Amino acid sequence: MKPHFSLLFLACLSTLHADGFADAYKLDDIKLPKDVPPEVGALAFDSKGDLYVVLRRNDVFRATPVEDPEAFQWKHFASGFHNGCGIEVPEPGRILVSQMAELTSAADTDGDGVADEYRNVADGWGLSGNYHETNDIVSDGNGGYFLAIGTASHNGPVLEHTKGEYSKIGRRGRNFSAVKHRGWILHLGKDGKLTPWASGFRMHNGIYTDPDGETWCSDNQGDWIATTPFHHIGKGNFYGHPSSLVWDKDWPKDKDPLLTYRNDLAAYNAHRAAPTVLIPHSFCSSGAKPIMVPRNGSFGEAYAGQYLLPDNNGKRICRIMIEKVNGTYQGMATYLRNEGGLRSGNNRLAFSLDGKSLYIGQTVRGWGMLSEGLQRITYQGGTPFDVATVNITATGFRLSFTEDVSEMKADEVDVASVIYQSRWTYGSEPEDKKEHPLTELKKSGTRTIEISFPGLTPGRMYEIKLPEIKSKDGDKIHNCRFFYTVHQIPAK
Amino acid sequence: MKFVALIFPMASLLASAEPITYDNLPLGSEKKPLVFRTYMPDPGLEKGYFANHSEAADSPVYNPGKGMDEKGHYKPVKGLPAAIGVNHGPALSYVFDTVECRIAYAWQGGFLDMYPYWGDPSRGNRLSNNYIPHLVGTVFHIASPTSEIHVDGKPLTELGEPRYIGYDMKKGNPVFRFSRGGHEFALEVLPDNTAPLSYTFTISSGSAKTITYGAAEKEGAGNTLRQKVTGTAIKNFQGFPRDSKITEATIANGQLLFDSLGCSACHSLDGSVGHGPTLAGLHGGTRLIEGAAEPVKADDAYILESIKQPGAKIAKGFPPNYMPPYALKDLEYESLVLFIRSVAKGE
Repeated sequence: MKPHFSLLFLACLSTLHADGFADAYKLDDIKLPKDVPPEVGALAFDSKGDLYVVLRRNDVFRATPVEDPEAFQWKHFASGFHNGCGIEVPEPGRILVSQMAELTSAADTDGDGVADEYRNVADGWGLSGNYHETNDIVSDGNGGYFLAIGTASHNGPVLEHTKGEYSKIGRRGRNFSAVKHRGWILHLGKDGKLTPWASGFRMHNGIYTDPDGETWCSDNQGDWIATTPFHHIGKGNFYGHPSSLVWDKDWPKDKDPLLTYRNDLAAYNAHRAAPTVLIPHSFCSSGAKPIMVPRNGSFGEAYAGQYLLPDNNGKRICRIMIEKVNGTYQGMATYLRNEGGLRSGNNRLAFSLDGKSLYIGQTVRGWGMLSEGLQRITYQGGTPFDVATVNITATGFRLSFTEDVSEMKADEVDVASVIYQSRWTYGSEPEDKKEHPLTELKKSGTRTIEISFPGLTPGRMYEIKLPEIKSKDGDKIHNCRFFYTVHQIPAK
Repeated sequence: MKFVALIFPMASLLASAEPITYDNLPLGSEKKPLVFRTYMPDPGLEKGYFANHSEAADSPVYNPGKGMDEKGHYKPVKGLPAAIGVNHGPALSYVFDTVECRIAYAWQGGFLDMYPYWGDPSRGNRLSNNYIPHLVGTVFHIASPTSEIHVDGKPLTELGEPRYIGYDMKKGNPVFRFSRGGHEFALEVLPDNTAPLSYTFTISSGSAKTITYGAAEKEGAGNTLRQKVTGTAIKNFQGFPRDSKITEATIANGQLLFDSLGCSACHSLDGSVGHGPTLAGLHGGTRLIEGAAEPVKADDAYILESIKQPGAKIAKGFPPNYMPPYALKDLEYESLVLFIRSVAKGE
C-alpha cells in the first residue's frame, strides 16, 4: 500500500480535504416549499432582489432571500409552464419563461402577488413532442433576448402532428432537429422579430450574455460533440452538430447533413466554429448555463470576471478564464468547486443582487439519476489558495496564484496536450497525446510562475498538472489541474 | 416513500391554483382550476382537426453505435404538442390547443395520469417511448375538423391562420385570447352542472358582428356567444394501466389501490365533504339514491357496482358522471371492497 500516493491523488482529484475554499465560500441547502418536486429548471432575481424559481412540472415560486436557508417564505407566483428551463425577469412582478412550445410572459397586473396575465411572446420555433426539446433564454443586454432551442433525442418519439414544419431529414440521427430551429440559438429583437443566430448545437442547455454583451454557451458531449465545449457565440456560425443545418437557408434542401459530414470530415471541420475552450468530459460531463463572477469582487477578487459552468451530471461547477489573444478568445478551465457538499444536477446559476451569493438550481429528472434542489454558495471573505489565472505566453503559460507560492521544480509540473475531433460517434477520445517536459520554470514575483516548453501549437488542448503544493499557512492548493485550449499564440 | 394522493398542504400560499406535487394525478377544483401545460393525449381527434399542425412521418431507426440507419422505422405517436389542459376537478377537464386555437376535447371525472411522463416519484424516470400522459375520466366532446362556432356566418376554422395570444386569469379561471382572420377573440370555459357531460363556453370578439353556434342566423345574435355544449360518453379512461401485482384480496392491498388510483381525490375516509360521498360509515349503512324513493343498502354488491358502473346509482346530492367506471381485476375489486368495508368499521 502506498498511502502517501493515493492521498495525494484524492486531494488533487476531488478537493475533499478541509480546505480554504470552504472557509471562504459557505455552502447552504435552500429549502423549497414542502411537497413540491424541487426540479429547478431555471432561476433568476428581479431588480428588487427577489428570487424566482421555475420548477419543471408547472410552477414558479418567488421568495425574498434570507440568511437562514430553511426560512425562505415561498409564494406561488405563476403556473402553467411545460418544462420551463429558462427565465428572465424584466421587472419585479413580470417574468419571461421559456417553456417547450413558447416564450411566455407572466405578469402580476393587479399587485396581489400572483401572475394573472399570460402572453405568448414568441413561438416561432417548432415542437415535435419529444421530451428533450427544452429551451433557455437570456437577455441580450440591449432590450432583446437570445433563446437556446434544444434538440430532440432518439430516446423518445415525435408526435404524429407537430407544432411547426416537420423535416424528415432533420428527424434522422441520435439527437435530432425534426422541427424548426431545434439546435439553434435564436435572437428575439426588441421589435419581437425572431432571427436565426447560430446553429450546430447538440443540446446547449443554457445560454448566457455577459456584461460586455458577449454571448456564451456550452453543449453536451455526444454525437458530433467530442467533449464538453465552452463557446463564444458569433452570428452565422455553425458549432458542430449537423442536424440543425436542415433549417439553415444556405444549406441545400434535401441534402442530409449527417451523411454529408459523416463522409467528409474535412468539409465539416472547415464549416465548424471551434469551441473557445475544451474541457475533458471526465472533468465536466454536461455543461449547463454559464454565468460570470461579478467583476466588482463581491464574490471574491480571485475569480472576478471569470465564467462559471455548472455540471448537470457531476457534483461540480467549473471555472473558466477567458483571454483574448491576437483578437481571438481562448482560455482555461478548472473547478470552482468539486464535491464539498455540492449536489449533482447543477443546471442554472444566478447571483444575488449584492453579488455575494451564487444560487444553484439543480435537476436531472428525465435525464439521469435523481438529484435536485436549490443550493447557495456565499462568499465569506478571504481567498482559497488557488491558481487564479492561466495566461498563454510565447513559449508556455503563466500561472498566477492567489497567495505566495513556494519554490517548485520544472519536473514537478506535468504538461501534456491532445486534440479532439468531433464526429458521428458519441463523444470522441482525445487523440495525438503529447507530453511536454518543461524546459524552464521561472518564478516572477511571489505569486506567479512561468512555464516554458518547446512546440506550443494552436488547435490543441493543454493540461497543466501541478503537484500538491501548500500555501504558507499550510492550505493545500484548491485546484491542480488546468485545461488551456490554444487557438492563438502571442508573439512575445 | 409513500405519497398520499391529493391532500392540499399549500393552502397558505396565494395562488389561483394549487402547485403541482409529487402526485401523478394532479387535480384542480371548481374554485381553483388547474391550468397545466404538458404533452396532451389525443383521444381520437380526426386528421382534419390538425389543420395548422404539420404531419410527421416514419423515420429510419438510427444506430448510434454505427452512425447509420438500420432496419425498421420509428413511428410517430399520438398526442398534442402545444396544448393547455385545464381542470375544474371532477366537474370538467378540457384542452385548449394553442396551435389550432380551439377546444380540442372535454372530459369529466378526472384529469391526467402523469405517470408515463413523470414516472415513479422516487426515481423520476419517464417511460422511454410512451410517455404521453393518459386521460382519467369520460371524454364527452371531441372537436370536429370544422368548428361549430360561426363568425359573421363563417366557421371559426375557416377565418384564416390562428394566432395564440395568451390568457388572463379571471377569478382563477383562464380566459384564452387568440386572433383569427383579423378578429381577436376571448374564450372562457366553465363547468355546467345543470346537465351531465356538459360545459359552457363564452366567446366574444369586439370586431365581429355576430358569433353563433351553427351556421344558421340567429335573431339578436351579437358578438358575444354563450353556449352550453352537452355531449355523450364517447370513451372512458382510467389513466395509465398499472399492474398492481396483487396476488390476494386484502384490506392493505385495497388501501394501496385506493391511493394509487386516485380515489382519495374525491372520497374522504373521515366523513369530510368531497367531490364524491365519504366512505366513513358507508358500508353496512343505507344510502339515498337520486331518483329513487327508497334508500339502498350499501353492501358489498352496491360498492362493487359503484366501482364498476358509477352511473348505475347516483348518491343523492352528487353530480352524475364525475366518476369514471373502473375496469380492474377481480382481486383488485375484492381488495377495494374489503378496504371500504374496513373504513366503515373503523378498523
